[in-house]
Amino acid sequence: MMEGRSRVLCKFFMHGACLKGVDCQFSHNWSDQSSQVCTFYQRGLCSYGARCRYEHVKVSRLTQPLATPVPVPRHLPAAISLTSTVDSSSRATVIAKPSLAHLKDAWQQNSTESLANGVSAISLGEADEPEALSNDPSDRPICAFAAAGNCPLGESCRNIHGDLCTTCGKHCLHPYRPLDRENHKIQCERNKKNLEALLKSQDIECSICLERVLSKPTVAERKFGLMSGCDHPFCVGCIRGWRSGSHAPGMDIDTVVRACPVCRVPTHYVVPSVVWYFSPEEKEEIINGYKNKLGEVDCRHFDYGNGTCPFGTSCFYKHAFKDGTLEEVKLRHLGAADGNTVIVKNVRLSDFLKL
Amino acid sequence: MLDVSRVQKELVEIKRDEKLSGVSIEISEGDLTRMRGTIGGPHGTPYEGGVFIVDIQLPSAYPFEPPKMQFVTKVWHPNISSQNGAICLDILKDQWSPALTLKTALLSLQALLSTPEPDDPQDAVVAQQYLRDYATFMGTARYWTESFAKRGALGIKEKLVKLVEMGFSEDTARVALENCGGDENAALEKLCGG
Repeated sequence: MMEGRSRVLCKFFMHGACLKGVDCQFSHNWSDQSSQVCTFYQRGLCSYGARCRYEHVKVSRLTQPLATPVPVPRHLPAAISLTSTVDSSSRATVIAKPSLAHLKDAWQQNSTESLANGVSAISLGEADEPEALSNDPSDRPICAFAAAGNCPLGESCRNIHGDLCTTCGKHCLHPYRPLDRENHKIQCERNKKNLEALLKSQDIECSICLERVLSKPTVAERKFGLMSGCDHPFCVGCIRGWRSGSHAPGMDIDTVVRACPVCRVPTHYVVPSVVWYFSPEEKEEIINGYKNKLGEVDCRHFDYGNGTCPFGTSCFYKHAFKDGTLEEVKLRHLGAADGNTVIVKNVRLSDFLKL
Repeated sequence: MLDVSRVQKELVEIKRDEKLSGVSIEISEGDLTRMRGTIGGPHGTPYEGGVFIVDIQLPSAYPFEPPKMQFVTKVWHPNISSQNGAICLDILKDQWSPALTLKTALLSLQALLSTPEPDDPQDAVVAQQYLRDYATFMGTARYWTESFAKRGALGIKEKLVKLVEMGFSEDTARVALENCGGDENAALEKLCGG
């Protein structure tokens, strides 16, 4: 085992093929821990969010295990030669050859700036064995086997056996990470609520196809269409089909097509949702969630300012220019003769030209 | 595309309380888009006691488009054509909603029979008679119900005439028909055998 290597397990080696072989900076030793930490999250932007397969932990907790991998190329040769084992120093020169200038820098830094730095590097380098990692229990991950109910290693398990979460019934609460505990509890409560809502929604039938919405043959069809104007349940496919399909001549768009098929209350928009709601607050939450989600997506019609959106200020999608600034809406108000104020929509010259 | 599963559900639902609702539907063989609905004439109207047959055609976009309905049985009613049975009812045209079903549409027709709308007529002659000479209208409507909507009674009379023409006496023929529940062939066999 080379000392020039990081103690973080090489992820390519883990998957069976590291092209760098013995020259790899990362550890090729199975007893070392792999870096399961998401570096994007630490920088504040992991686009996978909760679905990320790497751990989302804050920087503070990681300083110890992650301190080594980044500065390796510059510092390690210096640190190693200071440890003055013959084997490793010869190795160090081999590694350092291509970047001799850097090596010099490192020497100077170490000797002139602070010897203490170098010393701390040594002590870190020698004492930081895998066992040392587990001294702080909050650094040890939760044991997945114990969380699921049974860990074959029992007491001798290297990972933490978590406390029981009363909501999900799994031993997955980390005893030394209060933040994670709270997060898990919040997530668990939310999951439980979703599951209950989903169960209650099972029996709800669409008034158009007369089938249970959540028993439709394909997943895409198993969605409710929430009416903004009333509380009658439909499949989102059925209600959208009715509102956008071709209609018999003479049908009034506002009073018939845009109205609820059951109670005929006009509805301006339909919101898709996988669960049904049982209180006005829940409905509000679903609708707001939907609007927020759409608000993150750029509007196709607006097209970064190149086009015009027919929905104008009522559009649910984002109206932002290429540089990220949001569209500023200036409504033109006209005072009509009767004293009422009218909002003027886009006026085109062609409207006034008679061809 | 016709929503077959919805149509089948509707048929089951109609079948379930056929007796209570007074409307029923039978489908033509092998074709889900063509049906015959029957409506019992509502009580307290000149249509009482009659059974009215309605031809139903489902467009391929059903339930997003209204079903096409037309009376097969002749009816004397301001909103139903006395010539071809065409119906003037808003929910079968511009007020259709996909939440309506064949059953609710037939029940609406039944309601239309009991509450004519002469101000929005389909048959101007009938509507005019309804407004100007209500008594004659009632008489005509009742007569048409007797003549066209009570097929059972009319059938028995025809069958009786047939049997009498074959040479049986009217009394024995009537008894035979009554014993066989109106089945003309069974009555003939009985008469020949006995």
